[in-house]
Amino acid sequence: MILALGLSIVFALAIGITAARSRRAETVILPLLDIFQSIPILGFFPFVIGGIYGLFPNAIGANLAVIVLIFTSMSWNIAFGVYEAVKAIPQDYVDLLDMSNASGWQRTKSLYIPASMSRIAYNTQTSWAVGLFFLVASEIISVGATQIPVTYGIGIGATSFFSAQDYSDYSLLIVGLILAVVVWRFVFLREFALWSEKYKMMEEPRERHRDPIMKFYSWVNQRSISKLFLLAQGKGVNRFTSAISRFRRGIKYAVLIFLGLFLFLVLETVMHAGPVSFGQLPSLSTIGSIEGSVLVALGASFLRVWYVYAICAAIGLPVGVVISLNFRLYDTVSPILEVISSIPAPILLPAIVLVPILGHLPEAVAAIVIMLAIIWYIIFNVMAGVRTLPAEIKELPRVFKVSRRAAWRNVYIPGALTGFVTGSITAIGGAWNALIIAEYFTVTNPNGSTTLLTQTGVGIGKTIVIATNSADYLTLTLAVVSMTILIVAFNLTVWRRVYHHVTKRYTYNR
Amino acid sequence: MSERSEQLASGDPIVTVDHVSLNYHNDKETLPVLSDVSMTAGKDELIALTGPSGCGKSTLLRIIGGLNRATAGTVKILDSEVTGPRNEITMVFQNFVLLPWRTSLENVLFGLSSRSDLTNAQKRDKAEKALEETGLMGFENVFPGELSGGMKQRVGVARALATDPLVMLMDEPFSSLDDLTAERLRKEIYALLINPSTSVKTVIMVSHNVEEIIELADRVVVLSQRPAHVVGEIKIELQRPRNKKSEEFFTWVDKVYALLS
Repeated sequence: MILALGLSIVFALAIGITAARSRRAETVILPLLDIFQSIPILGFFPFVIGGIYGLFPNAIGANLAVIVLIFTSMSWNIAFGVYEAVKAIPQDYVDLLDMSNASGWQRTKSLYIPASMSRIAYNTQTSWAVGLFFLVASEIISVGATQIPVTYGIGIGATSFFSAQDYSDYSLLIVGLILAVVVWRFVFLREFALWSEKYKMMEEPRERHRDPIMKFYSWVNQRSISKLFLLAQGKGVNRFTSAISRFRRGIKYAVLIFLGLFLFLVLETVMHAGPVSFGQLPSLSTIGSIEGSVLVALGASFLRVWYVYAICAAIGLPVGVVISLNFRLYDTVSPILEVISSIPAPILLPAIVLVPILGHLPEAVAAIVIMLAIIWYIIFNVMAGVRTLPAEIKELPRVFKVSRRAAWRNVYIPGALTGFVTGSITAIGGAWNALIIAEYFTVTNPNGSTTLLTQTGVGIGKTIVIATNSADYLTLTLAVVSMTILIVAFNLTVWRRVYHHVTKRYTYNR
Repeated sequence: MSERSEQLASGDPIVTVDHVSLNYHNDKETLPVLSDVSMTAGKDELIALTGPSGCGKSTLLRIIGGLNRATAGTVKILDSEVTGPRNEITMVFQNFVLLPWRTSLENVLFGLSSRSDLTNAQKRDKAEKALEETGLMGFENVFPGELSGGMKQRVGVARALATDPLVMLMDEPFSSLDDLTAERLRKEIYALLINPSTSVKTVIMVSHNVEEIIELADRVVVLSQRPAHVVGEIKIELQRPRNKKSEEFFTWVDKVYALLS
C-alpha cells in the first residue's frame, strides 16, 4: 500500500509537471487523466489480474495486481493536484527562474516540487481513502476471480472471518482497521500535511490545526517523536531530492519503462484473455443479445447511481456547509469525518447485511454501501469550497440582517456550488466503482466454497462480477466497455458543461 | 428613530462610543486591542478614523456596527445601545464583498431582503433608485465580475444606501481602487452621503490616507498603536469643495501627520 502510494506520488509529479509545463503534453495528458479518473477502475481489475496472474501464476502475481490497481486508483487524483498547483504558480516566480537561466531539473527541484507539496499532501488524504477502498475490494474480488489467495490482507481477513461466522474476530478486525487508519492519518498524513504547510505560497491562508486529536497528539509527543520526525523529514527530503538529482535521467527512463510495462501488461491481458473468449469468434447475434442484457443492467445501475447520489447530495451539501461555517464544529467534526471516510465501505458490507430487516433488502444494502463510499467526496469538497470563501462574504447575511433562508439561497449554496460540483463528479465516479461491490457480494468459506451475501436485481456491477467468476470474457468486455463509454460520454457532455458554467459564475474573485 | 434625528441640530451626536475596550484571549495570554476609546459621530458629519496599520481601527468600526462585542464600554446610536447588527447601521467594505453570482440589482436587493415592511415592488424601486444615485443606471443586470473596481464599489455603496441607514460605516472604501478611480468616487461620495435627501445622518470612515481624510472628513479621530487609545481629534475647518493643491490643505495634512507620528 505504501509502496503504491510512493509510486503514485512520483508518477503524479512526473505527469502533473509535464502537463502543466508543456502545452502539447497538456492537450494529451489532461483528457487522459480526466478519463482515467472517471472510469471505474475496478471494472478493469479482472483483466489486470488475469494478465498479471498469467505472467506470474503465484501469490506474487496476485499481490502485484493488487498493487497496480491501488496505484492506478490513487495516482490520477494526485496528478491532478500537482498539475493545478504548478499551473497556479504566479508568473513572477517562473520569470525569476527564467532570468537566472535555471535548468529544467533546477526548476523542478526549487519550484515545481515545493509548490506541489501542499496539494500532494492534501490529495494524498483523499487518495489514501480511495486506495484503501480498492485494496479491500480488489482483495475480495481476486479471491473470487482466480481462487488463489492473495496471501494475507485485511479484505481477505474480513470476509473469511465473516464466513466462518467468527463475528468477534470480524469486529476486532474492523476496530483494528479503524485504529490503523487513525494512527496512519494522524501520525503520518497529518505530519506530512503540516510539514508541507511551509511550502505554501504566502498568499494562501494557512490552515488551522486545532482539532482535539491533533491536540492530544501534540501533547503526547511534544518533544520527542515529532522532533525526530521533523528531523528525519528534513534530512530525508534533502537526501531524497539529491538522490533524485543524481538519478534524474534514470527516473525519466524508469517512468518510461513503467509506462511500457503497464502497456505490456494490458496487451498481455488481452492476449491472455483472447484465446479464452474469442477462441471461436462469437456470432453477431450472441454479441447482440449479450449487449442487450448488458444495456438493461447498465440502465438499472444508472438509476441506482443517480438516486443514491441524489440522497448523498441532499445530505452532503447542507452538512458540509453547516460544518464549515462554524469554526469550533469544523475543528471537532472534520478529523472524525476523515477517519470514518477512510474506512472502506466493502469491509462494512457484511455488517450491514447482518442488520435485521435491512439484510433482506439488497437494494437498501447496495444503497448504503454506495453512500458510505461516496458521500465524503461531496461533504469534503463542499467544506473546502465554503472554507475558501472570504470571511467577509460569509458575514454578509449578518451585516444586512438577512433571514436564514435568504442567506442560504444567496450566499451559502451558491458559495458551495463549485466544491459541490467537483465533489459530485468524483462521487458519481466512485459510485460506479462501488457498484461492483454493492450489487453482488460473495464471501469465501473456509472450505473453499462461496456464499452469496447479497445481490440486487439487475445491475452492471453484478454482471461484471458474475462474468468474472465464470470467466465469461465476452460479457465482461462488453459490460466494461459499455459502462466506460456511458460514463465518459456523460462526463464530456453533461458534467463538463455544468463544471464550466459553475466555475465561471460561482467562484469568488474580487 | 429617524424622526428623532431630524430634530437634532448639526453636530449633535448620533453615535456615541463610550469607554470601549477590547481584549483578545488566546490560550495563554490576554491581548489588549482597544483601550478605553471614546468618540462621537454627530449629525451631518463625516468622521475619519485613522491610526497606524494594525492598530484596531477596523475592529472599532466593527464594534460600532455591532459585528464584534466590546469587552468593556458601550456604543450607542442616539439613546439605544448597540448589541448586534441592526437596520439603522450599514457598512461599505474595502473589498466590496459583492455576491459574484448575483447581478448588481440582485446584490442591492440582497441588502434589502430583511425589510419585511416593503413589498417586492417597493424593494425593486428602492434598489433601482440607489443604483441610479451611484451612477450605475443601465448596469442593473450586470454581474460583478464584469464590472470595474470603481463600479463594484458603487454597487457596494448603493447596497448600503438602499437600506435607509442612519449610520454609514466605511472600511477603507477607496483603498482597493486605483488612484484615478478612487479620486472620482471621492469627489462624488460626500455630496451623495451628506445631504438632506438621504437617510444617512452620520458617516464613519476608516482610512489611512491622510490626504483622503482632509479632502472628505469633517473631523478626524487619531488612534495610537496597539492597544489603541484616542491620541487626538482634529476638526477640519476647511471650506468645501476642498482644493487639494492649496497651501491651506497641506497645513491640515501636516497637523494630522503630527498626531500620527
